[in-house]
Amino acid sequence: MTTPILEIRNLHARIEEREILKGVNLIIPPGEVHAVMGRNGSGKSTLSYVLAGKEDYEITEGEVLLDGENLLEMDPAERAAAGLFLAFQYPIEIPGVATMTFLKAAINAQRKARGEGELSTPDFMRAVKTAGTELNVDTDMLKRPLNVGFSGGEKKRAEVLQMALLQPKMCILDETDSGLDIDALQVVSKGVNALRAANRSMLVITHYQRLLNHIVPDVVHVFSDGRIVESGDKDLALQLEAKGYADFDGAAA
Amino acid sequence: MRQTMPVRLGPAEDTLIAQLTSVGASAEADRMTVAGLPTRRVESYHYTDLKTLLKTVPPLATPANQASAPALRVAGAYQLMIANGVVQGASTAPAGVIVGKSAGGVLTSRDDVLVHLNGALAREALTLTLESSVDPVIQIDRRCEGDAAHVADAVKIFVADNGSAVILETFSGSDAAHVGNHATYLALGKNAVVTHITVDLSAKASSHFASNEYSLAEGAKLRTVTIHAGAGLSRSQVFARFVGAGAHADFTGLNLVADGQHNDITIDIRHGVAHTTSQEMYKQIARGRSKAVFQGKIVVERDAQKTDAKMMMQGLMLSDEAEILSKPELEIYADDVVCGHGSTCGELDEDSMFYLMSRGIPKAEAETMLVRGFIAEVLDPIEDEALNEALNGIVDGWLLGK
Repeated sequence: MTTPILEIRNLHARIEEREILKGVNLIIPPGEVHAVMGRNGSGKSTLSYVLAGKEDYEITEGEVLLDGENLLEMDPAERAAAGLFLAFQYPIEIPGVATMTFLKAAINAQRKARGEGELSTPDFMRAVKTAGTELNVDTDMLKRPLNVGFSGGEKKRAEVLQMALLQPKMCILDETDSGLDIDALQVVSKGVNALRAANRSMLVITHYQRLLNHIVPDVVHVFSDGRIVESGDKDLALQLEAKGYADFDGAAA
Repeated sequence: MRQTMPVRLGPAEDTLIAQLTSVGASAEADRMTVAGLPTRRVESYHYTDLKTLLKTVPPLATPANQASAPALRVAGAYQLMIANGVVQGASTAPAGVIVGKSAGGVLTSRDDVLVHLNGALAREALTLTLESSVDPVIQIDRRCEGDAAHVADAVKIFVADNGSAVILETFSGSDAAHVGNHATYLALGKNAVVTHITVDLSAKASSHFASNEYSLAEGAKLRTVTIHAGAGLSRSQVFARFVGAGAHADFTGLNLVADGQHNDITIDIRHGVAHTTSQEMYKQIARGRSKAVFQGKIVVERDAQKTDAKMMMQGLMLSDEAEILSKPELEIYADDVVCGHGSTCGELDEDSMFYLMSRGIPKAEAETMLVRGFIAEVLDPIEDEALNEALNGIVDGWLLGK
């Protein structure tokens, strides 16, 4: 059996005294796109932060393997170098750091961590240009400070650009559709779909079915009260959209 | 009859009195005898109590026999040097620059101990007259060399009407417990455009004191950058006076304060006539057990209508034991002005750190990127590429703990 790209076993996590993840189990084989759907506050975003290694959460139980490696022992930078990528719901604005400088630092840091040489400036520029063209990201945008003053669409396109450049094994997209109009959603989805590959898996977190019309998942999971309560194929998303979450988690919507 | 309450004098004050007496500055010696070094009870020294902080003063400097390696090299700069208070011979000056020497004492008198001491002890001043636009960066390399010494030196610069220049002053020297007391007077003629950068790179064992006085005529444009990245104890004072309408100045600085250090930037900006503007932007970064002090005073005099002045101090704490102090003061005597001040202080933003690290950038590198981002506002306006790179290099070096 091939090693899953992501394997989450009985994951429990809390912030301060409040338990948010209450036993998550999830296996994503190579090349598959899984969607996690759930109502606001169900813990979906916490799952993405815990996987990426945000410090605010305490893991109380369980384990996570990324391509067979113990993810929870690594700091966020090591997780990224190991092939994990989180596309943020709200990308952070960082004044004073030019987007281009940041991209180069990120690519070279990951290469260095993997024992590869630095990318030459011409090679880097070529890679940025190629990836940027498909996502309508021009070089003017890349000269601006990272995410500062970017529109909602620009921020999400910049996230997908980073994903395209960093070529992760495992992509987590946290509410990538939030703040996007239909045109922007199409550009971003096209960018994501272009990255689908046999050796790359994705976890798409959303609470609207509409994103899944553009990024069609292999498996859909329903997330409720800190765990996965139901899994199915893409039609499960349509059922959810029609009936609401109440049928799945028993609580009133 | 007025009764004087003698203050208890410490060894630093005893040495200063003897030094002042030895150069014939009896009035200054008397003043030191009566008042001593300023304590926290003196408002302008409230956060930098010199009586406590300056424990000893080394002997007055003698001419230097040798000079250490330059602390900062800027490609293409015209170099001048003052070592242990003595103006050194210089190479041929670039077009528009007249280099000379005059007797010491370049600052206008004011009630400040550092100004008094410099006036009494600086024997000669390097004088620069800039007659037009000067192309190369002018670097004045001010040194305290040899065994620990009390060094007083002075520079006087006149920039003619419509002249322009970028002037860099660096302070460095041997690795001894020097006390440097430096003065610079810089007068900008009408429509003159000047960038004046002072960088303290002296040894951690030393104490660095600098007083910079500026006068801005009509339409003059000034940018100052005060950088502390050296001495264990330092205080840079910026005294500026707007004397002509339409003048504008950006007063900026970086107070980089490492473990065991106490560094102070104190500014006193006077808008004396109508229609002048200033922006003050100071950034302080403190790590280890250290103290960073910024005192910013803007005075708008009665006739200075339509003054527009905005002051900002931002502090970044890199450790729990660091202390960042900020005291903004506005004194406004005119009634039609726009003046404001702000002050913020915080740690590196956790969300920003997480974002950078989530892209594979290791912690130390992410911190450096954020600190560079934090200070970009101060260094970005320096257009000369070699100079900008040199200044960024100082910050990078400081971050690496050099």
